[in-house]
Amino acid sequence: MTSPSGPLPPVPRVAGRILDAQLHLMDRQVLDHDGVPVTTVDDLEVSGPALDVEIPPGTAPPVITALLTGAVLGTRIFGGRPPSSRLIRIPWKDVAEVEVVVRLGVSGEPLDASWVERWVRDKIIARIPGGRHDPR
Amino acid sequence: MILGDLLGTPVHDPDGGWLGRVADARFVLDGPPHQLMAEPRLLGLVVSPHSVASFLGYERNGLTHPWLLARILRWRHRGSFLVLWEDIAMVGPRSVRLRPGFTRYSTALEDRRQV
Repeated sequence: MTSPSGPLPPVPRVAGRILDAQLHLMDRQVLDHDGVPVTTVDDLEVSGPALDVEIPPGTAPPVITALLTGAVLGTRIFGGRPPSSRLIRIPWKDVAEVEVVVRLGVSGEPLDASWVERWVRDKIIARIPGGRHDPR
Repeated sequence: MILGDLLGTPVHDPDGGWLGRVADARFVLDGPPHQLMAEPRLLGLVVSPHSVASFLGYERNGLTHPWLLARILRWRHRGSFLVLWEDIAMVGPRSVRLRPGFTRYSTALEDRRQV
């Protein structure tokens, strides 16, 4: 183990772009390919490792498989997190760009992440007189 | 697994000594290429001995303004270090154990414009 005193050595150089989960991904807004807001990144799903299992040397590192979103306001305030099954997944293969916001390369319309907005639009707003066309 | 479960988890050395908590996870975009972006693979974990989580990342970049905020946050995250995936022996629900002879790396981000 290296000594904790003194300046620490820099991380060995890697070829790809560095992303820190909390700093660059969590809580960022997610926009679809038309720039329409879809949701925010509430958490991330990674491919491993298995819990409480010794990791053999040379094991391939886990990768991010999906951005997670869902009803996390309550758990943010009171602690814990919603069950995994209640979180909505946006597969990483749909992510096109990570900057100040996370941009998707697909339309947000068919994604599960925006189902509440679609439901409110179709079931409530559409039934209000004048609710089926743009305001003039 | 869900990454949020790992953040804040205590980190121990091979002898069971307490080193800090997982403040962040660092990924690098050099995994297998997909249609749009490469897959981000886990490079390592940022361990902070004095704080449960990272906030604004002042300890990882060269920002010094606002001065007071920068000083306070740097002090709060003092002693933070990065351990590479290769140095992680086991991840459990309540602790992360490192391998014997693990190396502490600086948490500084190489490209400071990213933040």
